[in-house]
Amino acid sequence: MTQPPPTPSTRPPISVPDLLVALALTALGAALFLGSREIPFGINAVVGPRVFPLIVSVGLTVLGLLLTVSVLRGDRAEPAAEEDTDLTVPVNLASPGIILGGFVLGAAVLTTAGFVIGTAIMYFSVAWAFGERRVGLMAGVALAVALVTYVAFTRGLGLNLPPGVLKGVL
Amino acid sequence: MEALTSLLAGFETALTPINLLWALIGVTLGTLVGVLPGIGPALTVALLLPVTAKLPAVSAFIMFAGIYYGGMFGGSTTSILLNTPGESASIITALEGNKMARKGRAAAALATAAIGSFIAGTIGTLLLTFAAPAIAEIAVQITPSAKFALIMLAFVTISATFGGSPLRGLLSLFMGLAIGLVGTDLQSGQARFALGRPELLDGIDFITVVIGLFAIGETLYVASRLRKGKSDVIKLEGGATMSKQDWRRSWGPWLRGTALGFPFGAIPAGGAEIPTFLSYTLEKRLSKHPEEFGHGAIEGVAGPEAANNASAAGVLVPLLTLGLPTSATAAILLAAFQQYGLQPGPLLFLTNGELVWGLIASLYIGNVMLLALNLPLAPVWARLLLIPRPFLYAGILVFSTVGVYSLNNSVFDLGLLALFGVIGYGMRRFDFPVTPAIIGVVLGPTAEAQFRTALQQSNGDFSIFVRQPLTAFLMLCVLAALLVPQVLKYRASRRAA
Repeated sequence: MTQPPPTPSTRPPISVPDLLVALALTALGAALFLGSREIPFGINAVVGPRVFPLIVSVGLTVLGLLLTVSVLRGDRAEPAAEEDTDLTVPVNLASPGIILGGFVLGAAVLTTAGFVIGTAIMYFSVAWAFGERRVGLMAGVALAVALVTYVAFTRGLGLNLPPGVLKGVL
Repeated sequence: MEALTSLLAGFETALTPINLLWALIGVTLGTLVGVLPGIGPALTVALLLPVTAKLPAVSAFIMFAGIYYGGMFGGSTTSILLNTPGESASIITALEGNKMARKGRAAAALATAAIGSFIAGTIGTLLLTFAAPAIAEIAVQITPSAKFALIMLAFVTISATFGGSPLRGLLSLFMGLAIGLVGTDLQSGQARFALGRPELLDGIDFITVVIGLFAIGETLYVASRLRKGKSDVIKLEGGATMSKQDWRRSWGPWLRGTALGFPFGAIPAGGAEIPTFLSYTLEKRLSKHPEEFGHGAIEGVAGPEAANNASAAGVLVPLLTLGLPTSATAAILLAAFQQYGLQPGPLLFLTNGELVWGLIASLYIGNVMLLALNLPLAPVWARLLLIPRPFLYAGILVFSTVGVYSLNNSVFDLGLLALFGVIGYGMRRFDFPVTPAIIGVVLGPTAEAQFRTALQQSNGDFSIFVRQPLTAFLMLCVLAALLVPQVLKYRASRRAA
């Protein structure tokens, strides 16, 4: 340790995102607590259905408050270093947005257009979000993966997946 | 001797041609998915759950045994060739194994990992064979209050004692407990936190939580901070082999790693991370060439990899005898049991002996198959690492969708999956460990049931938790597990100041 210890007057700055997370967790605990009080005591039971939710919600609230205090004192979270990630590049929130958007769209049309079309949309959007731009190849691979998955799970393993527009074809 | 008779009966179950085929499919799929970068053993098992959906229970669990061990084998291959640990227990393998691979000794690193895993897995399974029935016999007599205390101990050790930040670990655990509360209370029939949605009355499917937090969360997080450029995969020529000298230097670490790994897996102590680190330190201290460590010492792969796999076998002891998962992967296996309406625990040996012993026997078989698969086929697995990231992560998302949708054929569940994906992203961004949340979801309902049963029996007298000797002892352990690390930290900081 070559640096001098920080004096109380030069507090580290408060990280706003961290503070929001801590407050959100505290609020979640409080909301659960209010919800727990709605649960009836139960009859003929020594410990009814509301005791455990009360314990969990109080615990979550207290822990959330502790985290809020520690964030206010300058604590901040280190983002996880995963494989394929680079923590030095600026955070790009558009890519996760594209993935979520594609996922929601694919899920929305899953029963009407069918499993193959729905998951192909998901596949395409993830590949796009990860920087792939060879559109023809992506569309081909997306459809192929979706088709093979569909056939393997429905024919091979007997699961029911919605055929959608391909009904009768497959 | 009883264990031997049961085990032989188990082999009769596991050695039927059809079950052998399921075991082979299990180890192959497990290795295949486990090799993919970004997918650790826990996610491997979760993603492959729907594959077994239509199988009879015995065949499904024989396949799970293969998937479980296969995922571990696959993970070590990735660590060595790519320097990217799929989970914290493979950090050491990635460190030392990748250095070996860079020096052109990839074949030896893969071989010592595979053979070490085989030896550790086999010894671990042997210990499981003889320890499990004995523990199950004792476990039948454990009172509900002590079972509750035992779960508390698992909660605390997994979330607070061994993690980086106890506060964040506990918060993660409580989030999991909160998720576990959703749905109809089984004892009173009272709906809780269902928000008026009929889909939520059955509770939130555990698989949705796991796949959301692990797979979707990981995909979103990696997409937000993508590393540019090609990943750096070691080329591999031919199968995994070792020289005589490698053998000489490996067998000691294999056995010592096994001895460290198994007990750590069997107690609720936060999984395989610690024994792998301990094994590495021990081998470095015993080594005649400590200067090689950090630059590709074979002992530094052999020991930790054996510890990792022995711990995987050890984890099955509390899982099968007490129904207590001590790692994220074990929690998913527990959920798989529950899907078949089976509650792992001491009674399972009596009620479903054929299934349990068939599962244990297939662990031996799976280990042999994995060795046969991994040594010659190493170059094939290595090819999988070349899949371009956009296509790989897209495929993971499609598989996640199949897994979750096929649970109830419901699009509502896919909405939940997206929600847990966003939460999983937040957990990675804000440094909350995922495993405590998983354990909280799985064990929360069990903890509540034991807590309530204990108080029913004592007529609402809370002192049951301190009067019953075993319960009191376990509660003391819980307190110690919470406080001791804090005290040590405080004293260290006082000394540093």
